Amino acid sequence: MIGGLWEQILSGSFWYPLAFLILAAGTLVPALLVVLSRSLLHSALWLLVALMSTAGLFVLLGAEALGALQILIYCGGIIVLILFAVMLTRGAARPETGVHNRLLWWSLPVVLGFGILTFTLTRREAWPLAQMHGPADVTPRLADALLGPYVLAFEVASVILLVAMVGATVIASAEPKQ
Amino acid sequence: MTPVPPIPIQAFLCLSACLLAIGLLGVLVRRNAIAVLLGIELMLNAANINFVTFWRYGGAQHMEGQVFALIVITIAAAEAAIALAIILNVYRRFRTVNVDQINLMKG
Repeated sequence: MIGGLWEQILSGSFWYPLAFLILAAGTLVPALLVVLSRSLLHSALWLLVALMSTAGLFVLLGAEALGALQILIYCGGIIVLILFAVMLTRGAARPETGVHNRLLWWSLPVVLGFGILTFTLTRREAWPLAQMHGPADVTPRLADALLGPYVLAFEVASVILLVAMVGATVIASAEPKQ
Repeated sequence: MTPVPPIPIQAFLCLSACLLAIGLLGVLVRRNAIAVLLGIELMLNAANINFVTFWRYGGAQHMEGQVFALIVITIAAAEAAIALAIILNVYRRFRTVNVDQINLMKG
């Protein structure tokens, strides 16, 4: 009896739901704070927490490479970019107007209804699940897929990144004509 | 790796549905253009969670789910760079980043 309980605690069937609950709370609560926080700087920092929890969810699902990339690109790149933009547009913050617009009171029920609709739809559906073992070498197979059948998407994505970098530099450095 | 994670797939799907709704709320109600961008990032993350969930629960034999998620992350990075450059330019011209005050093209 005790041994069975101990085995259950040591196996994944105990820790996996616990880790999922912690990471889900660590995603949803900071996401709500991103939307509701009055300070834009706090919003950006709460987004950082939500994105790191999402990376944890990716690792929990077995996509370790994707979790690492999420931390590298989102937490290392995009959040820093957003923080710079927040600090450069500091003068635009006007405390006398609220951070939320007049849509708040009728968009709340709309969004709530949308959330409840998708929630019930995902619960009603009986998803056909594959009961096969996942492969152990996920990251090498991701690399094979990226440089094999999806090499075109990979190259297009890199060209898009280059174009976005040049375009962002040009747009941000253009002086407005008065 | 365990055959299939010991929790139902609906847990992940409900999480991503809630995250999408929260991001949509952020896009709809915030005044600041940068905050609207934060809401869009939340929605993209909800989509990514769905991609990886279906990849994992679909047996993890094909890598499409992860490739899609990776491309989405890349596009999100490009989109954030362009959007923030545009927001900086708008701020220099109008001295505001409130999306309901930038209504020059309103009829």
